[in-house]
Amino acid sequence: MIRIGNASGFYGDRFSAVREMLEGGHLDVLTGDYLAELTMLILGRDRLEDADLGYARTFLRQMEDALGLALERGVRIVSNAGGLNPAGLARAIDRLGLGARVAHVTGDDLRERFPDALTANAYLGAWGIAECLRAGADVVVTGRVTDASLVVGPAAAHFDWGREDFDALAGATVAGHVLECGAQATGGNYAFFAEIDADRPGFPIAEVEADGSSLITKHDGTGGAVTVDTVTAQLLYEIGPPAYLGPDVVSHFDTIRLAPHARGVRISGVRGSAPPETLKVCLNSLGGFRNATTFVLCGLEIERKAALVRRQLEAAIGAEGLSWTLARTEHVDADTQEAASALLHATIRTTDPRRAKAFSRAAVELALASYPGFHVTAPPGDGSPYGVCEAAYVPRDSVAHQAVLPGGEVVRV
Amino acid sequence: MRLPLGAIAGARSGDKGGDANLGVWVRTDEQYAWLVGELTAARLKELLPEAGEVERFELPNLRALNFVLRGLLGEGVAASTRFDPQAKALGEWLRSRHVDIPEALL
Repeated sequence: MIRIGNASGFYGDRFSAVREMLEGGHLDVLTGDYLAELTMLILGRDRLEDADLGYARTFLRQMEDALGLALERGVRIVSNAGGLNPAGLARAIDRLGLGARVAHVTGDDLRERFPDALTANAYLGAWGIAECLRAGADVVVTGRVTDASLVVGPAAAHFDWGREDFDALAGATVAGHVLECGAQATGGNYAFFAEIDADRPGFPIAEVEADGSSLITKHDGTGGAVTVDTVTAQLLYEIGPPAYLGPDVVSHFDTIRLAPHARGVRISGVRGSAPPETLKVCLNSLGGFRNATTFVLCGLEIERKAALVRRQLEAAIGAEGLSWTLARTEHVDADTQEAASALLHATIRTTDPRRAKAFSRAAVELALASYPGFHVTAPPGDGSPYGVCEAAYVPRDSVAHQAVLPGGEVVRV
Repeated sequence: MRLPLGAIAGARSGDKGGDANLGVWVRTDEQYAWLVGELTAARLKELLPEAGEVERFELPNLRALNFVLRGLLGEGVAASTRFDPQAKALGEWLRSRHVDIPEALL
């Protein structure tokens, strides 16, 4: 059995979770997911400003705080915090001077093939991570690998799985899917939250067996819960058809069996089949600029108030790119002002940053010249760029998935 | 009985590019048999009128249905002007809709 924990479900998750997971009990590997489609865009903009950036900076601070503890306890760290610059993150961890053997995975960055995109990253699988761990890495940082690969890689290395051990790979993929969003598996954001202690859920752990089955659990004494229902909730997160495509295996979610266990939930029975010949690529491009504000409409004649301010704003800057929604949150004859108020959301999307800025000015200029009771929830800013995310597919063989081992040797995966 | 669907069903929703996914599960086999018959793709569109094209997948092993709501989020999270651009609360909206639930299932 290999005991794999998770300490992050996104870039911005609980900072102290790394330390909590290391101090809370035994682990073999601690993983952390920092990347979402939107995060790649944010990192892409970081990289535009400074080519040395492009990785999740909080992860580096977490390592500064807790890598020494991980080394002392023999817990290996596996994370996709490398984002757009895993080599840069690996160097930065080396510079912490803790003597950790740091490896990284490259090959996901396909900007050369998609020059029009701000970021273009293939979703790599688990084998680069497995290669780094087999070579004795204490820390493995990657760019865009599938979230589940952070669990599949360590399990595959530990049990020496082959590329065609599809059932085992699928089992570990399902465990990885449960872990990848942190506390969402342990009672966070849980529909039946009132039935459990939901105040401060612990982070999840998967005890993966040689056949890919697993026990989902959490450290003793932590909050939240691991039940068939909390695990089911997370299994249903961000999925499509039951045949869940991944770079290493297709995991058949309609074969998953869940069973309650004294320490959590057992996952077994998962069947896998051969992965597609292509890898998915996440392309992020700058789509334009957006700005938004929310007008508060209180009391009487809500529709007319909304129509007035809309006419005024459209007369000032034109209707193009503006979208409006009116949330009728007001109650008739309400005994609080908030309950008497409706919310009119106005959003502009435009290719012209000056127009995004003009939106703010026009909205502010209405402050003494519009509907009675005019106010906004927060004054609009200058607007900000927004991204558009698209998927592309490339042949697996055309991607140079590489493990850069501690010491610098490069292994083609 | 006329009750919110959430009286017996849990849900979790999220985004995949411009699509939203919405998983719904219940806790007994009897509830699942009812859910499969009741919550068709067409019925989901009635309960969530903002939905466009809806695809439904059955996961009887989890007593769950997974819905993919195509194009609900436009060009994706960062570009969406939707109130909830990542569809995080779509499941809670569904759970709050009132439906006729057989009393024996409560």
